[in-house]
Amino acid sequence: MHGRSCSQSGMRKRGPVRLFGLAALSILFAQGAAAQETLKLGISAPMSGAAATWGLGMEWAAEQAAERINAEGGITAGGETYMLDIVAYDNKYSATEGARTAQTMLSRDGVKFIVGSIGTAPVRAMQALTERQGVILFNTAWGKSVKGPDFPYTFTQMNTPFEILEPFYSFVKEQHRDIKTAVLISPNDATGQELEPLAIETWKSLGVEMLASDWYERGTTEFQPIATKIASLDPDVVDFSAAPPGDVGAILKELDVLGWDGVKVMSAGTSVDALTAVAGAAAEGAYLGASADFDGPTATEVQRKLNAGAREAIGEPLNGITISSYDAIMALRSAIEAADSVDPAKVKGVLPTVRFESSYGPSGFGGEALYGYPQQMLLPVIVTQVKDGKPVELTRANPAELDALLNN
Amino acid sequence: MELFVQLLANTLQIGSVYVLFALGLTLIFGVMKIVNFAHGAFFTAAALVVTSVMPFAMDTLGLSLPASYLLAAIAAFAVVLCIGAVVFNFGFQYVLKDLNGSFILSIGLLLVLNGIYLAIYGGAPRSVPQVLPDTINIFGAKLTEQRLALVIISIVVTGGLYLLIERTRLGLALRAVAQDQEAAMLQGMPYRRVALYGFLIGAALAACAGVLMAPINAVTTVSGDEFLIKAFIIIIIGGLGSVAGAIVGGLFIGMVESVGGYFFDPSTATLTMFILVIVFLLVRPQGILGNAD
Repeated sequence: MHGRSCSQSGMRKRGPVRLFGLAALSILFAQGAAAQETLKLGISAPMSGAAATWGLGMEWAAEQAAERINAEGGITAGGETYMLDIVAYDNKYSATEGARTAQTMLSRDGVKFIVGSIGTAPVRAMQALTERQGVILFNTAWGKSVKGPDFPYTFTQMNTPFEILEPFYSFVKEQHRDIKTAVLISPNDATGQELEPLAIETWKSLGVEMLASDWYERGTTEFQPIATKIASLDPDVVDFSAAPPGDVGAILKELDVLGWDGVKVMSAGTSVDALTAVAGAAAEGAYLGASADFDGPTATEVQRKLNAGAREAIGEPLNGITISSYDAIMALRSAIEAADSVDPAKVKGVLPTVRFESSYGPSGFGGEALYGYPQQMLLPVIVTQVKDGKPVELTRANPAELDALLNN
Repeated sequence: MELFVQLLANTLQIGSVYVLFALGLTLIFGVMKIVNFAHGAFFTAAALVVTSVMPFAMDTLGLSLPASYLLAAIAAFAVVLCIGAVVFNFGFQYVLKDLNGSFILSIGLLLVLNGIYLAIYGGAPRSVPQVLPDTINIFGAKLTEQRLALVIISIVVTGGLYLLIERTRLGLALRAVAQDQEAAMLQGMPYRRVALYGFLIGAALAACAGVLMAPINAVTTVSGDEFLIKAFIIIIIGGLGSVAGAIVGGLFIGMVESVGGYFFDPSTATLTMFILVIVFLLVRPQGILGNAD
C-alpha cells in the first residue's frame, strides 16, 4: 500500500514533467520533419567492367547535384523541405542486375526517383517495376523501345542515336568526302541491336556502303579476329556503334598493329581518357558522338567546375553520359517544385512541360513527334575528336525543339 | 597465305593464354577433385597487382620499364601464392574431393575476392604500358613483340609444367594422387600437402596468365571471370583433369575464336563454343583426352 502511494505520488509529480517532455519532443520532431525530410534518389549503372567509367562518373555527378541543392536549402514541396541522398548500385550492364538493382532501390531503399540508369537491357528490366509501381526513371538507354506513351514514368536524360546519328555521321562525311565504305561493330545486346539498323540506314543515306555489320559479346577479351577481319575488308570507316570506350580501345589497338588507318567513329564515344588508356596513340583522330570538351570555350561555367572536380575526384573528365545525372536532378527539382509535390504521379505529369537549367543551359523535354511522348531531354549534339589524347569539340547543333524553347 | 598465317598467329596468341589458365584449373581438378570457380580471381589479382606496382616502380622508384614489369611480376606471384595458401588452409583443404562443398566455397570466395578487388581498385579499366610495343611481321602475320613474348613464355611454362609432372618426385606424387588418392596415401604420400602444392601450382599458372595479359589488355576487377568461362569450355572439351587435354582444348578454342571470329563474327564464335560443349557432353563427356572414369 505504501509502495503504491509512493508510486501514485511519483506519477503525479512526474506527470507534468512527462507532458512537458512529450510536448518538447513533439515540437522537436515536427521541426525536424519539416527541415530534414530526405528524398532518396537512385542510380543503376555499371560500376565494374569495361563500362565502369560511365557508372562511376554518373554517381559522382549526381552527388554534386545533390550537394548543390542541399547547400541551397533542399527542394521545397507541399510545405516540406527535402534534402537529397544518392544511392547507387552496379547493374553490370545486364538485364538481370538491372532488375535486381531496381528491386533493391524500390523495395528496400524506398526510392521513388531514379536519376540515372545505363543500358537498354537493364533499363527495360527496370521499367517492369518502375512503370508498375509509379517510379520516375531517368535513363541513358539508346534503345527506342524504352520510350513511348506506354512508359509515361520514363525520361531520357541524354541524346540517343535518334538525336545523334544523323548530324554526327553527316559531319564526319563532310570532313571526309571520299569515304565510300564502312564496317559496323556492335555489342550483341539490346542497345547494339536497336542501334544497328539505324546506323546502317543513316550511313546508306549518306552514300556509304556497309561492308559488314558484326557483333561481339560484352566481356570479350580477345579482339584480334575481328580486327583481322576489319583490316582485310579495309573499309574507309569503322563505326563502333554502342561499344564502350574500353572495348573500342582494345579493337583500335589491334587495328593499329595490323596497319589499318581509316576513319574511326564512336557513336557512343564518351570517355577519351578511358579510350586512350587502352588504345594509346591508336585512338588519335577518332570521332566521338557522345563526348564533350567540358574544359573548352563552349562549355558552361557549371560544366567547367564539374569537370575539374571530376578529374580530381574520379581521375577523369565527365562526358555526355556521366554528366546526365546532374541534369536529371536539376530537371527533377524543377518538376517537384512546379508540381509542389514529391508524388511521382504528379511529378511525371509536370516533367514534359517543365523548363530547367541543365549543365548545358536552359532545357526541357521533347521528342513527342518521334517517340509519341515528350520524354527526351533536349540537349545539343556535340561532335568531338581525339587530338593529342584530348577531346576537342568540333561542332555542336541544337535540336529544332531546343532552339524553339530557347527562343521562347 | 598471309591470311592463313595471320589466323594461325591469332590462334596461338589467344590459345596460349587459354592454355595457361586452363592448365591450372585442370591441375587443381585432377589433384583435388574440385572445381574451383574462384580460379579467375587469381588471374585478376595478378593483373591488378601489375597495374599498381608498375607505375609505382617507374614513378616512385625510378626503375626502367622492363625492371618495373619484372618487379611487378614478382609481386603478383607473391600476392597470388599468399592468397592461394590462405584460401587452401582455411577453406579448400576441408572440401577435398567434395564437389558440392567446393562449389559453394569457391563461388562464395569468388564473390568475396571480387568485392575486395572492387573496393581496393574501383571498377574502371586499368592499363600499363607494353614492355615490347613494336610490331613485327612473321611470314605476313603482324603481331606485337609483346604478344610474341607471351606465346613464347606460355610455351616455356607449359613445357616446364610437363617436365615437372613427368620428371620430378612432386610430379609423380601429383600424378599418383590424381590417379588414385587412397592408393597414394597407402604408399605414404601426404595427400593434403600434395594437394596444397597442386593448388599453388594451379594458382601460379593463373597468375602467370594474368601477369602476361596485364600489359596487353585493359584490366578490370572481373577480368579473370571472362577467362574462367573459356577455361571451363576448354577443360570440358579437352578432358577434365587432363594436362594434355587442356593444351589441346586451349589451342582448339583459340582456333574457333580466331577462325570463327574472322569468317563470321565474335558472337558467332562464342556461340559455336557453347554448342561444341553441348555436343561433347552428349557424345564424348570425358572430352578429347579425358579418362572415361
